Amino acid sequence: MNVTTRARRAMVATAAAAALALSGCSAGDSGDTTDDPIVIGISLPLTGDFSEPGKGVQRGYEAWAKIVNDKGGLLGRKVELKILDDQSNADRIVADYEQLIGKDGVDLVFGPFSTRLVIPAARVAEEYGMLFVEPAGAAPEVFQQGFKNLFYAAPAVADDHYNHLAEYIIGMPADQRPQTVAYAAMDDPFAQGTAYGLKAKLEEAGIRTVVDEVYPPNTTDFSSIAAKIAASNADMIVGGTQYQDAVNLIVALQQLNYQPKLAAFSTAPTNPEFAKAIGNKTEGILAPTGYTDKASYPSNVEFVAKYKEMFGTVPSEDEANAYTTGQVVAAAVEAVGCAEQGECQQKLVEWLRKNTVETVVGPLSWDETGRPQGAHMIQQYVDGEIQIVLPAEAKEADLIYPKPNW
Amino acid sequence: MRSGSESRRRIGTLARLLALAIGTALVLSFPQVAPNPYVLSAGVVIVNYAVLATSWNLVGGFTGYISLGHGAYLGLGAYGTGLLVTRADVPSFVALVIAAAIVAVLAIPIGIASLRVRGASFVIVSIALVLILLLVFQSWASFTGGSNGLVVPRPFPGLRRPEHHMVFFYLFCALLALALLAWWIIDRSRFGLGLKAIREDEDKAQALGTPTFAYKLAAFVVSATFTALGGGMYALWFGDLDPIFQFSILTGAYMVLMALLGGVRHLFGPVLGALVVGYALEYFKLEYGDTQLHLVATGVLLGLVVLFMPDGVIPAVADLYARFFKPQAASIREVSTAELLAQRAAEAGAQPGGGDGGPGGEPGGTSVPTSAEAKR
Amino acid sequence: MISGSLLFQSLILGVLLGGLYALLAAGLTLYFGVMRVVMIAHSAFLILAAYLAWYFHRQTGLDPLLSMVVTAPLFFVIGVAMQRLLITRLRPATRTMMSVLLTFAIAIGIEGLLGYVFTGTHRRTQLSYSGASFELFGARVAVVKLIAFGLAAAALGGLFLLLRKTTFGQALRATMQHKEAAELAGIDTDRVAGYGFGIGLATAAVGGTAMALDVTIYPSLHWHWIGPLMAIIVVGGLGSVPGAAIAAMLLGVTQSLLQLPLGTTWAQTIFYLALFATLVFRPQGFFGGRLAQRF
Repeated sequence: MNVTTRARRAMVATAAAAALALSGCSAGDSGDTTDDPIVIGISLPLTGDFSEPGKGVQRGYEAWAKIVNDKGGLLGRKVELKILDDQSNADRIVADYEQLIGKDGVDLVFGPFSTRLVIPAARVAEEYGMLFVEPAGAAPEVFQQGFKNLFYAAPAVADDHYNHLAEYIIGMPADQRPQTVAYAAMDDPFAQGTAYGLKAKLEEAGIRTVVDEVYPPNTTDFSSIAAKIAASNADMIVGGTQYQDAVNLIVALQQLNYQPKLAAFSTAPTNPEFAKAIGNKTEGILAPTGYTDKASYPSNVEFVAKYKEMFGTVPSEDEANAYTTGQVVAAAVEAVGCAEQGECQQKLVEWLRKNTVETVVGPLSWDETGRPQGAHMIQQYVDGEIQIVLPAEAKEADLIYPKPNW
Repeated sequence: MRSGSESRRRIGTLARLLALAIGTALVLSFPQVAPNPYVLSAGVVIVNYAVLATSWNLVGGFTGYISLGHGAYLGLGAYGTGLLVTRADVPSFVALVIAAAIVAVLAIPIGIASLRVRGASFVIVSIALVLILLLVFQSWASFTGGSNGLVVPRPFPGLRRPEHHMVFFYLFCALLALALLAWWIIDRSRFGLGLKAIREDEDKAQALGTPTFAYKLAAFVVSATFTALGGGMYALWFGDLDPIFQFSILTGAYMVLMALLGGVRHLFGPVLGALVVGYALEYFKLEYGDTQLHLVATGVLLGLVVLFMPDGVIPAVADLYARFFKPQAASIREVSTAELLAQRAAEAGAQPGGGDGGPGGEPGGTSVPTSAEAKR
Repeated sequence: MISGSLLFQSLILGVLLGGLYALLAAGLTLYFGVMRVVMIAHSAFLILAAYLAWYFHRQTGLDPLLSMVVTAPLFFVIGVAMQRLLITRLRPATRTMMSVLLTFAIAIGIEGLLGYVFTGTHRRTQLSYSGASFELFGARVAVVKLIAFGLAAAALGGLFLLLRKTTFGQALRATMQHKEAAELAGIDTDRVAGYGFGIGLATAAVGGTAMALDVTIYPSLHWHWIGPLMAIIVVGGLGSVPGAAIAAMLLGVTQSLLQLPLGTTWAQTIFYLALFATLVFRPQGFFGGRLAQRF
């Protein structure tokens, strides 16, 4: 019995291996003729930790595809988006881009959401020689990996998000400005990057850090962090956050009746669900944003109008970043005149390195590591609505200080 | 008779060796046969699973101590290799070996603590180990990179991605061969015999003089070392480590599922399980997209295996086959009904007047030829 | 600098949390006592109940606590069914070990279903009184946490009463103590075991609904809870309901206090340290587990 079982076993194993190889053969790659649509491969976190902004990015890409196709497409060919869900997993996203580039043979790729996911995805693209423009990888680490094909499609990197706010605070008279600050940041390169960028500048100006907490991304219980912040009575709270963690932290702070004079959180306040999630007590909350729908760049006017037609609301930052990515790649493709894997990708990279692209967030240009050369604006909830308050040249309302009770 | 069975055994061995050779050839030619780099990368993952499942089987299969937390050693091996390469500038494969050695040393106190308890307590402890390591590696961000992840540089920087996958496919196959060799050697040794005795009945084995604790610990350490090697190799191939994937109970569960499904008592059992489960996972992902249904499928499969096929799929299928097509072999009776009737008719004919060939007569041991035919 | 008020605040938070842990650990103890089954899926059912409460609130706008009216009996039935149909199928010799694997399979099955139906997005019930709190000797007590604690305490109290004062409770305790003797005394241990399982799962329903008030839920959250719960029942003594409750309170308060110097994540390690320490020094548990053996 042992003999037959062993032999049988080995044969089943090899049969399965053969089956695996053969089944893989069923996947065909698309032949490229000039009438075929340009297929763009994207992996997004549609579920999981980053799903809210992930879905925003998806809407932005879809709006871009529609607008481009309505105008006749790129290089005369329609564009087609192939979007996979990576469930906010660094593991999955690698497999997704591997599948898109290696198996499905897509012509171009767009980047995903969240810095944490961008680095592994960018590596896949890099090792296949593809251009990689991404809407959401803003932390310093992204630009220190030695990627040669990466471009970030937004005005500024994470560290510089709060620059205008730092300037404003330091510029206030010494007796009025906040003396103590509490920082709570998610252990995520982007979220932490924004908070720590602000921290560095404020500490340099002598504003004391009284609480400095970092928490893992799946933290949901903020009672003890909130207790520490409330006990410190800091004048200002800075959150390096994504979405749900900001909501949870704010609710916990509300439960402890902590009332700061200034409250700034990254990402969450730009999300449409945010106000309802914290009981509509949003007045005075600040956030950095790379985008305002009221900006008057010509492509933005068109974008806002068409987006409103498609989805019924005005676009926010994530959608705009996605749209910008599409614009950047489209500009390169139109200029160079090709859209396929192989040498074409290198030509696209070189063109972007040397040129400026007009987008819905303004003109963008990059240094040799893909860092954009602009700055973010600061928004605040004023009278129940999001308004730009900094920098002075772009402002729609005056910054409220101190913050009303929440 | 004797020469007959000897030549049968020789043919059996030849058949086995031939099957092994064909199997090896097929596996080694996979990178050439794979239609695109994506399928090749899936193949690498499957061989990785095979390594992990076989390593798990070194302790789970031999001793019967089911560890759901073997992901801990996987993670330690992966992070050990990654940290040695990034922080101490050790060359990649040297780091791999050193990390595995460190895990082997660490496994000794862990084993001493965990193996004091048995059965379900042991499982709980193994789960607790993975969870606590997950917490530590997430929190100690300054050292491990925390949830930002740890980037492990490529050992062969110039390679394009498809070649990278191919090189690591062969490396993983080599590691698998090593693990299988280790299993084979232990299986045939006195050490292995002792381990199997522990699996059957630990107290009796101890009463008979087997040094159960020492044996258990040895198997545990060997298993942890091979798992760490698998994890370290994965780190070098994949390049991006995140505590939540390296210290994952789900990966530990896959290891158990693969080994149980394929059959824990056989050399290639875990490999077979890895093939089936790994392929099923990839298939699920491609057909149904990235939903959570693969978790449900894993749960259902594990539940089915535990309830109906705890010895593995091949013995269960063989049993079913035997029950339907070879009822004699599966039956406790030694003669079939037809034969029994024929016997009784013959007896009734040989002894006019009936004798004891009535309905209450004994089925076995009447005439020699029938018994010999009935027996296998 | 840890001030007295911060300490007191953490103590209050710890007590509120400990109450919830106590209820959940009591359920786990029931499974183990009744059938020597380690039910890893307990926290998965907990999260399932929380999702049902959240979904109920989202669809109807009514208070999520009302969903307990449906979920508690439903889970009771599921518990009885699970015991009768699945657990009894396992071979008695390896039952405990195989039950771990089987319930593990159920847990990831539930996680997968939740992820498929509700996706992995974090969910939080938005109640009008989510942010409300009142003052107690200088510390602030959140209303939702207090309600959760009250619910857990009431359920636990009910469980104690059931076990001590009713005939069924006596039968259950007898089955937990010594199955053969209980059978000799005329108790239908199979039926009692089934009901015991059902009650255990019903406590998961109550606990889950309580959680839904204040905790953010996502499908893989159950791993976050199973570790501490396992540690609690081992420390408390397998098979002892009061032991589990005491250990839960103790560990919950310690965790909350440790969060001050160590931070949230490191503080969670206290459960695993306590688990290892118990297994090394006193494997039968500290608070009266007569049933714990080297099983």
